[in-house]
Amino acid sequence: MFHNARVPLLVLLLALASQPAWAQRDLTGMWRPLARNEDGSGLDGDYAGLPLNPAGRMRAQSWAPENFDVPEWVCRPHAFDFSVEAGAATMRLSAIVDDPTQKLIALHGRLSMREQETTIYMDGRPRPPDYVRHSWSGFSAGEWEGTTLVVTATHLKEDYIRRWGPMRSDDATVRIRFKRFSPEYLRATVIIYDPVYMAEPYIRTSLIWLHDPDVLMPPYPCEEATETVIERGTVPHYLPGKNLLPAQDPKVVDQFGTPYDARLGGAETMYPEYIKKLGPFPRPTNAAAGGAERGQ
Amino acid sequence: MTRRLLFATACAAVALIASVERVQTQAAQRAPQARPAWAWKPAIPTVKAGEIDVVHVKGNVYMLVGAGPNITVSAGNDGVLMIDTGPASMSEKVLAAVRTISKAPIRYIINTNEHDLYSGGNEVIAAAGASIPFRIATDVRVSDGRLGKERANVISYVTVYHRMSAPTGQKAARSEEAWPDDTYSTPLKKLYFNDEPVMITHVPGTTDGNSIVHFRTADVISVGDLVDLTSFPYIDLAAGGSPQALIDGLQQVLDIAIPGRKSEEGTLIIPGRGRLADLPDVAYYREMVAIVRDRVQDMIKRGLTLEQAKAGRPALEFEARYGKTTGDWTTDKFIEAVYQSLKK
Repeated sequence: MFHNARVPLLVLLLALASQPAWAQRDLTGMWRPLARNEDGSGLDGDYAGLPLNPAGRMRAQSWAPENFDVPEWVCRPHAFDFSVEAGAATMRLSAIVDDPTQKLIALHGRLSMREQETTIYMDGRPRPPDYVRHSWSGFSAGEWEGTTLVVTATHLKEDYIRRWGPMRSDDATVRIRFKRFSPEYLRATVIIYDPVYMAEPYIRTSLIWLHDPDVLMPPYPCEEATETVIERGTVPHYLPGKNLLPAQDPKVVDQFGTPYDARLGGAETMYPEYIKKLGPFPRPTNAAAGGAERGQ
Repeated sequence: MTRRLLFATACAAVALIASVERVQTQAAQRAPQARPAWAWKPAIPTVKAGEIDVVHVKGNVYMLVGAGPNITVSAGNDGVLMIDTGPASMSEKVLAAVRTISKAPIRYIINTNEHDLYSGGNEVIAAAGASIPFRIATDVRVSDGRLGKERANVISYVTVYHRMSAPTGQKAARSEEAWPDDTYSTPLKKLYFNDEPVMITHVPGTTDGNSIVHFRTADVISVGDLVDLTSFPYIDLAAGGSPQALIDGLQQVLDIAIPGRKSEEGTLIIPGRGRLADLPDVAYYREMVAIVRDRVQDMIKRGLTLEQAKAGRPALEFEARYGKTTGDWTTDKFIEAVYQSLKK
């Protein structure tokens, strides 16, 4: 009797011992985004909460919406960190495993919105030299800090962090901290270190995903549009002081009555203490034209 | 006659000093800019100072990194074709790096522009090569048909040759051993080399004589200093360059390049300096030049002087990425070139 009871126990112990280490913190599967918290006024052209330095603000203020119709940009995908933060994309994480050893080489990530993919190397390989091509997802390496997967991306292309002008440069380092804090929920924190366009690191814990094996990952075919309203060779942009986006108009008011000064962004607009400074700022009064107020 | 000689000597001396300064500043330009303490970045390897790394790009095509400007190499059955030769001081190291790729003869050198930084190695590297003979070299009855002594053919747009050489009686900017001996003055010159169509296209931009080279099988374009991912573009007004020509030239590159999935990779682009690139990198570079052009144009329209335009910092958001305050090509000099070109 005693002998028989030990067999299943041994089998269980062996089964546990044969699990790869990463399985204890397995993030793979399909993840459905839950509603995110909105920031700022919601007006197009609002940089509140972004630690832009003067260069980052000027880069943002020169951006015109026609930029998305430039033939070269029609199929530009969202950056992986943008979609992680944006909160509208389905995410799939899958494991790339060395078959003979069953050792985890990397995690492959895919996001549904203006599709983006990334490979997060988990095998400790060195970063490539600075002269290799930069990509939208860059070179990402992951390591565990306790039960948090910390992903560090370098070799990134310049890309937008909001779809109305604010950018991070190709010299930025992006960290994403993934934490699965229950079988169902996954949280991501995005940290951007960009000395070119920012005055401080940008940190945002904005999104929680729900594990959902039934969620769909749609394809995203894209081909260059040759008949956009932007003539090939044109670079649309606003000259300094001529930005037409509603949040950059000092007279336009949003639903919260956010002062114009806050909508210019800057490091201090990230912190709760800034709310106290808003009091003396003049409040704009003109309503924005329809459709100007929306998320992300 | 004596005054003319003195003038030519003085011009040559100034050009030499300028070129030496430009070469010397490459190391400084490659040095990473000081980052604020909060802007954390993991260690990323780079080429060691004075050394050359060989990068296999695609197919027959390689990129040599570390000589100053990037040097493109095609290696295969027909031999070696090089695009640009780098500064003279790096010639031996460039040759050694080429020999790690192929021991075959260097048949062609293509100069994308005439600046010493890009063509300074012409003398040494061309002399180490051997042009393709027209006849069997061992047939002692006739010459093998080669035009000059045994050396690689140096191809360029014709204005590059004009600027390296000089009319009779004047001192040439470069020794005759450096001069191109296979020039073209048409929009396009074609080669078929290493089982690959090679299109050499005249694309004026930073000068009036820039060439870009498209390896059609590998789908790699070597664009010389039309794209310099380490600096604002070195627009040489005296050599016929202009911001508008550069923007048009960059559009030509964008029209040839076709990105792969997710609007990246696909056609690869070897820039004059900086990392290996693709279409989005060139599109961003074109965006930068066009935005600065439009702002300076607006300043001129509003009656601002050159000094006022510089003070207005029309390239502010690009300064941390491309700008320099010291060396031979500062942000101020770039703004000045744009201003002077648009003021004409």
